Amino acid sequence: MDPDRIDAPEQAEREAGDRPAPSRSPAAPRAAAAPGRQPPTTKRQVELRGLSAYYGDHLAVKNIGLYFSAADVTAIIGPSGCGKSTMVRCVNRMHEETPGARAEGEVLLDGVDLYGPDVDVVAVRRAVGMVFQKPNPFPTMSIFDNVASGLRFTGAERGETDDRVRKALVEAGLWEEVKDRLGKPGLGLSGGQQQRLCIARALAVDPEVLLMDEPCSALDPVATLRIEELIGELKERVTIVIVTHNMQQAARVADTTAFMLSGELVEVAPTDKVFTNPDDERTEQYVTGKFG
Amino acid sequence: METRVQYQEELEQLEASALGGLDLVSAALGRTLEAVEHQDVELAQIVVADDDRIDGRYLEVHQALITLLATQSPVATDLRLISALLHVLKNVERMGDQCVNICKLIPLSGNEPPSDEEMVRLILAMGAQTKTLISQAKRAFADRDVELARDLVRQDDVVDDLNRDCFRLALEIGDDADRREWAMTMLLAARAIERIGDNAVDIGEQVSFVVTGLFQEFEDASHPSA
Amino acid sequence: MEVGALQPRGPLPPVSGRRRRADRFARSLLWLATGVAIVPLVLVIYYILSKGLGALSVEFFTTDPTGDFFGAQGGVKSAILGTIEIVGAAALVAVPLGVGVALYLTEYGGDGRLARAVRFFVDVMTGVPSIVFGLFIYLTLVLAGVGGSSFAGWKGSAALALLMLPVVTRSAEVVLQLVPGSLREAALALGAPRWKVIVRVILPSAASGIVTGSLLAIARAAGETAPLLFTATIVKATTFNLNEPMNSLPAQIFQDLKQPNDELVQRAWGGAITLVAMILIVTLIAKLIQRRSRVQGAP
Repeated sequence: MDPDRIDAPEQAEREAGDRPAPSRSPAAPRAAAAPGRQPPTTKRQVELRGLSAYYGDHLAVKNIGLYFSAADVTAIIGPSGCGKSTMVRCVNRMHEETPGARAEGEVLLDGVDLYGPDVDVVAVRRAVGMVFQKPNPFPTMSIFDNVASGLRFTGAERGETDDRVRKALVEAGLWEEVKDRLGKPGLGLSGGQQQRLCIARALAVDPEVLLMDEPCSALDPVATLRIEELIGELKERVTIVIVTHNMQQAARVADTTAFMLSGELVEVAPTDKVFTNPDDERTEQYVTGKFG
Repeated sequence: METRVQYQEELEQLEASALGGLDLVSAALGRTLEAVEHQDVELAQIVVADDDRIDGRYLEVHQALITLLATQSPVATDLRLISALLHVLKNVERMGDQCVNICKLIPLSGNEPPSDEEMVRLILAMGAQTKTLISQAKRAFADRDVELARDLVRQDDVVDDLNRDCFRLALEIGDDADRREWAMTMLLAARAIERIGDNAVDIGEQVSFVVTGLFQEFEDASHPSA
Repeated sequence: MEVGALQPRGPLPPVSGRRRRADRFARSLLWLATGVAIVPLVLVIYYILSKGLGALSVEFFTTDPTGDFFGAQGGVKSAILGTIEIVGAAALVAVPLGVGVALYLTEYGGDGRLARAVRFFVDVMTGVPSIVFGLFIYLTLVLAGVGGSSFAGWKGSAALALLMLPVVTRSAEVVLQLVPGSLREAALALGAPRWKVIVRVILPSAASGIVTGSLLAIARAAGETAPLLFTATIVKATTFNLNEPMNSLPAQIFQDLKQPNDELVQRAWGGAITLVAMILIVTLIAKLIQRRSRVQGAP
């Protein structure tokens, strides 16, 4: 029992833990204010403006407006079939590779519309890299050749290739494990290593943005965590957009989270807000597992 | 098919258990007041022993909530609810301890009948008001009623006023050497009741946190209304 | 397998006698069918070996047929070389063309109307009898005297190429379709232009399958007689000029078999052995390549 303070006996004693901390709002967002909704002004930022995507007559992505901030990780979550993969594939113009598929609207990278009339699709894909769900190293190539493949496709000079391959493998956290067997086939690696190889391959061409479509779903938990660690390290260098089914992963890895439902963007906010106090009821229902 | 039904049901059960702790506290407070009124040492001892039940409830529900955190990865409202329930449990346990503190004072005041009816009246009034506070806090949490929770501050102000009256009365009695000691113990009891009231207000603040996601101190002496 | 009744173990009932009898009956049927299929093959091999082994000698492989009825008949050198030349030239044309058509069908045509029409016609061509190809070339190239000659080795190659083309196309298309779409996507996503994706990623992945398919097409074409009769015809001398009439093993065998001379007939059988052996070697090489690529390939 603590003695009352003589000067103000009516004032409640503040015992540790008895009186909660004074008012505070939820933790300050890790990215710029209202991320996803307001344009930051640094390089390597992507803006989607009125983006819609079709498969034939079917509208899969409906008029999306969204920002991916530079040096940030944005996660796109949502139930199966909500259009998140489709939307992301529009950013590097892979969506149009599917027969009958087309996209409308604008995708701006540093202010330049990637769907503009004079834009070279190949150049878009060099600036916006992609890592896929199932690791897909080229089976006929060695580890070195795999990482160098992007460079060779884009016609890089011979002399730089060695350095850039090494740099990419270091960035992907794979160098130590493969430096003595660069000539061995890429398929000889474990699943997690193969995926890091694919990440190195994508990084070697020096993209500004890296799109990751459920990169860990085919991997075991340890490999998954290693790649999440990697994402945290890479985000200083590339803007990262990650599509994921795994909400805990989004919560661990992303600065900003966007929730999509039936082709529409429902909510985008700092990750901790989405997972502690989302604005939209549908977001609340999805993250707490009431549906999806 | 609905998802996470078992998890939802478990969470509801744990909330009911935690709030049920408030019922236990209310009952303990009632018996405590009776013991004070009649200087009933035996009843006081029963209250002290019964506090084990409240502590048991605390441990049980606390453990279950921790397990739920570990296994179900709750987020958003569920997460806020679990955090709030952990706070509420702590409040319940403290309230129980305050009742025990009061009961431990009763033998100290001697086995003679109380020396000042006015003091006893004040204390009983405080107790009754505090019981109202407790049941209002419980209702506010169960119904997620933020307005009702805010009203707890007003109710608690009554308790605080009565506590001040006790203090003044004790000062007056203090001149009388025979009754001085008794008055001191009564003052300590009053203070314990006042603390119970504050715990109830804390529960109200948790209601606001669950509903709005923001943590705010309700108006009290350190945050007077404008 | 067990014989006699099984003691029942817990919830598992034993195999019934009726099932075992049915099993034995079915097995015997299968053995019988296999036997029926293999026996003629064995007989053929035995027959040609017994008939033709005697003809094989160093001379057989190193001298040209003299065309004389009496006296030294010579060997079949020109026929062997001719087969190699004609089939080789046909492959040089058919394989790139066939792979090209297959690439069009898998990479560009997709499910469009043109692609479907092409596939249909390729399927039809695989069924056309080889003599029809021979006749076609005969009418269009030989009679018209294209290239300044009537019969010529290259015209034989043309006929064989027509024969090989649908086979190469179909097998290449199958192999190309087996290349996982994810590889195409990975290469495209790296910023590779379409043609580089094909040349650097898809073709290397499909390479062994395409080679195997081509070798099998070659093996088939090497044995065709009818087209060559109308196009390259039969000559005695070895020649390396494809613009002249050229000898070939099937043609040589065909001619020798008609002669009333026993030794010539035996030479025909010797030619048959040689032809079978050559085709066998090509097939074995194809199998070896297939095996090696499977071992090296994806786990």
